[in-house]
Amino acid sequence: MTAPLSETGVLGPLGVLLAAPLIGFAFGWFLERGGLGSARKLAGQFYLADLTVFKVLFSALLTAMLGAFWLDRLGLLDLSLVYLPETFVLPQALGGALFGAGFLVAGLCPGTSCVAAAAGRIDGVGVMGGMLLGIAAFNGVFNWISGFYESTPLGAVTLTDLAGVSRGVGVAVVTAVALAGFAIVTRIERARG
Amino acid sequence: MSRVHSTLVIAAAILGLAAAGQDLRTGAAATKLTSEIDAAGGYISAPDLADRIVRGDSGLRVLDLRSRAEYDQLHIAGASHIAFEDLAHAVPEDATVVLYADGGSAAARAWMLLHTRGHRRVLVLREGLYEWIGRVLEPRLASDATAAERAAFARAAETSRFFGGIPLTGVPRADVATGYWTGIDRSGHQPAGMSKRAIASIRRRGC
Amino acid sequence: MRETKPYLDPYLAGAGIGLVLLSAYVLVGRGLGASGAFSSVVASGTAAVLGTAQAATSPAAAPYLAAGITSPLRDWLVLELVGVTLGGFVSAWLAGRTRTAIEHGPHIGSGQRMYAAVGGGVLMGFGAKLARGCTSGQALTGGALLSAGSWVFIATCFAAGYALAPVARRLWR
Repeated sequence: MTAPLSETGVLGPLGVLLAAPLIGFAFGWFLERGGLGSARKLAGQFYLADLTVFKVLFSALLTAMLGAFWLDRLGLLDLSLVYLPETFVLPQALGGALFGAGFLVAGLCPGTSCVAAAAGRIDGVGVMGGMLLGIAAFNGVFNWISGFYESTPLGAVTLTDLAGVSRGVGVAVVTAVALAGFAIVTRIERARG
Repeated sequence: MSRVHSTLVIAAAILGLAAAGQDLRTGAAATKLTSEIDAAGGYISAPDLADRIVRGDSGLRVLDLRSRAEYDQLHIAGASHIAFEDLAHAVPEDATVVLYADGGSAAARAWMLLHTRGHRRVLVLREGLYEWIGRVLEPRLASDATAAERAAFARAAETSRFFGGIPLTGVPRADVATGYWTGIDRSGHQPAGMSKRAIASIRRRGC
Repeated sequence: MRETKPYLDPYLAGAGIGLVLLSAYVLVGRGLGASGAFSSVVASGTAAVLGTAQAATSPAAAPYLAAGITSPLRDWLVLELVGVTLGGFVSAWLAGRTRTAIEHGPHIGSGQRMYAAVGGGVLMGFGAKLARGCTSGQALTGGALLSAGSWVFIATCFAAGYALAPVARRLWR
């Protein structure tokens, strides 16, 4: 296995840090090119008026998922050395809902707020400021909610671990779901005219 | 654009469908690290060290004996890095020194060096950073834990949070450390995962 | 009147982001993120105000001290987000899309928009801390790795957004 390069010794700590802004630059570039620096465009998804977010998010997810799976399968990438987030079912469910509500109201998410601000959108700066406040508020009440915050842990597990199927089956299912989603989106757009 | 879209969809469908019959390769196994040291009261356990750091013990100096690169990647909060060669002259005699490495012989040899030079308050973290991770940062509670284990875990979890770790509950009994790793006796079993992979994972945690 | 370039096809933009994410897995064994960088900024702000000795007692700074990160410049996510900002700027500039403005829906004013922006940001900040990430870190990065919690996040995030959309209609339509 030759990758991740940071874990096989090819890329040292300095290289890892240098890679960060380069990777970020490419991410920000594509976000802006796709139009995700516009709050009206992003919020439009919730009114089925502009489904760009769905298309970008799921085609990105699909590309990375298929790429990672096959690179591992070909022996080029050791996925077990790639950081997998830990699962905490309830906090992530509630956190997701709060986040979704905030996303609807703000029209921008953390990453796209930076892109919007970079292009001169003051509302993007407002979202960034709000985020800092929200995080500070969380830290402030942490001692009271730490029990909930750490509840329902499952460790670093995947959907396929929980379902007891191979990773490949999960990849196939998600691919099918994403492609079906694209088909539905195309139909919705055609119906809109 | 339509032709590009069709190509992408077909490529995704083929790669996705082909994946259904496959699985990932497995990663390399973790290595277990042990150390032997003369039991002249030279050991400090990770939870005891954690308590002293939490209390703000001002005379305490925690020294990391691993490579600079490893230190930069992850170290005990408040620890300084020191090269083995600098031990002789860089350590003040009146300080209480805690040495740790990666559970191998480096910390033991450093203890010997300082002890023979007259330092009387030198302590070693027996299993090094792995003990810090396993007993302080990520204490584990088995799903079939006894009441006593739960009580001990509650205290360990509070300390873990102080250092930004993640206490783990509902762990299968086989994955929970025994013996020394729980403070009961000197032998014991360290579950796989307390290794370079665990360190790298903690380092990259967060999104 | 500056000519603005059209947006890139969303599927191509998505594929591009997917390749960027894949390169992150390959190069540094982790994915993308955004909210973590904001968290890091709050942590160092807290440390600056309280002093580093006291900061270790704050759950804000503790995870960063634990991972050996002593300044935001050493935090991978902060450096990545700086890159995101630069990349967004250069792309917008080259496409003629830079302009100082407050983007808002047709039926509200700039002031109301700013309140909504900050308020929405507060909710997202709190939610992202609970969920250990945001759309970049959980939905995208964790989703591509089939992480269970990430997919839970995707489900509740978009369910909440769509469910509450009628309530927020005045903001956007």
